[in-house]
Amino acid sequence: MIEVIDLVKHYTSADGQIVRAVDGVSFAVGPGEMVGLLGANGAGKTTTLRVLATLLRPTSGTARVAGCDVVLDPVGARCQLGYVSATTGVPDRLTPREILQSFGRLHGVAAETLDDRVGELLGVLDLVSCADRPAGRLSSGQRQRVSVGRALVHNPPALVLDEPTSVLDVFGSRDLLAFLSNLRSEGRAILLSTHRLHEIENRCDRFVIIHGGRVAAQGTRAQLAGPAGSLEQGFFAAVEGTRA
Amino acid sequence: MTTTNTIGTMPPPPAADAQPLPRGTLLAAVLAVAGFQLRRLFTLPRLAIAALGVLFPAAVLMAVRKTLSGSMDGTVVVILYALIPEALCMLGLLVTMCPAVADELERGTWAHIAVRPHGRRALLLGTFLAAVAWTAAVAILALCLALAVSGMAHPWRRFPLFAALVGLSCLGRAALFALPAVIVPKRALVASVGVAIVVEYLAGFLPAVVNQLTVSLRLRSLLVQGMGWGRQMPAGMQLLIDTNPVWVQCGAVVLLAGVLLVASVLILDRRQFPPSEEG
Repeated sequence: MIEVIDLVKHYTSADGQIVRAVDGVSFAVGPGEMVGLLGANGAGKTTTLRVLATLLRPTSGTARVAGCDVVLDPVGARCQLGYVSATTGVPDRLTPREILQSFGRLHGVAAETLDDRVGELLGVLDLVSCADRPAGRLSSGQRQRVSVGRALVHNPPALVLDEPTSVLDVFGSRDLLAFLSNLRSEGRAILLSTHRLHEIENRCDRFVIIHGGRVAAQGTRAQLAGPAGSLEQGFFAAVEGTRA
Repeated sequence: MTTTNTIGTMPPPPAADAQPLPRGTLLAAVLAVAGFQLRRLFTLPRLAIAALGVLFPAAVLMAVRKTLSGSMDGTVVVILYALIPEALCMLGLLVTMCPAVADELERGTWAHIAVRPHGRRALLLGTFLAAVAWTAAVAILALCLALAVSGMAHPWRRFPLFAALVGLSCLGRAALFALPAVIVPKRALVASVGVAIVVEYLAGFLPAVVNQLTVSLRLRSLLVQGMGWGRQMPAGMQLLIDTNPVWVQCGAVVLLAGVLLVASVLILDRRQFPPSEEG
């Protein structure tokens, strides 16, 4: 469902130097699979996710969403993908209902099904009680749920989330990750990045560890952590092995 | 904040052989963005600024009427032209069109719009539509009020000419300001003021080929033709207008707006904003 093959993304910095943000990353996420993208700050996680979301063009390599190449068929890729960024980006003056309706219309969801779809999302995301309250008066958790609803308004089979729990407290994180697990069990492919390893340790099917723009390790929790270790230990081992 | 797991389950995504996911049309997306941007403009501060814009030309005309005596229709027309299709439209568009991309980058909504099938184009064209509609509505209200207090003989006979000038001014200048909005989004306002001064006013008043590409030349020429001033003007002043027929002037503005919008859309399609430029 999500394929990244030898992906390279270089930036030119203000002083003219080439910054290799992503340097040959490859991995895949299948339908009904939840994969955690792990790495330190500046490892290349957000850049990788943004290439998948068609926000950035790769320097070389391939990224596909449901078979749609993000460079050759960006509109097709966007149709198949839901994207949640690290910042919720929820307009303060609009209500959750208005936000979901606006983005549904922007995405091309048919007018006759949009109200039902928005009602369904408000229900499953537990936003009914605040559906008509301006988003500026919502809690961080509610705003993040609006952001997730906005990504799901067109019912995409693939979902990419960039640090979705970074603004949430422990309860909000637990609820959101449980919801993502439900989406996974419905057959969606989910790729999420996070720094909070303990939160996703038992939620994700596999993990991809990125360091310095390259894949340092990937596999299941058991493969990365070893029989007695934790995912965190596996992460440090992979990253420090790369450093060495 | 919830303290229990209250988030539910959703129907599964469509099967691979099901109907394709919605792609929408560019027109529907443009209208969605235009509606969204117009809602954003309906805030008390924006409405207060718009009310000032509506009142200002009428206040100036009333002050002029107290100062001058005798027939002053010509003076009133020139003041109306300078204040409404030129100054008011220009200011309205600077406020509404210039932040088209910068606002989304600052609010963190750029990524959520750009990941939609026609998101980038719809953002630019929808904002253009909203900016033109909002500014033209304010300018037309200002025109009505100014005509009502102008003291001219048969003031409403001037309405069609000035309404057309407002429409063309908004169309041309909004497209002109779209370019800085996509090229230098975070400096769009400064760049647009520069463009307005250098291109519209300095180049627009040079009697040379370059002023053929300005909106101000077309508006001036339409005003002179509409008022029938062509033959009364001194030879030096006639160099500042274009004597082609009305349809050429209107067509030139529409063509210029089209070219500028297509260029802006193509640039925005290729723009990439690193995460550090957002939020």
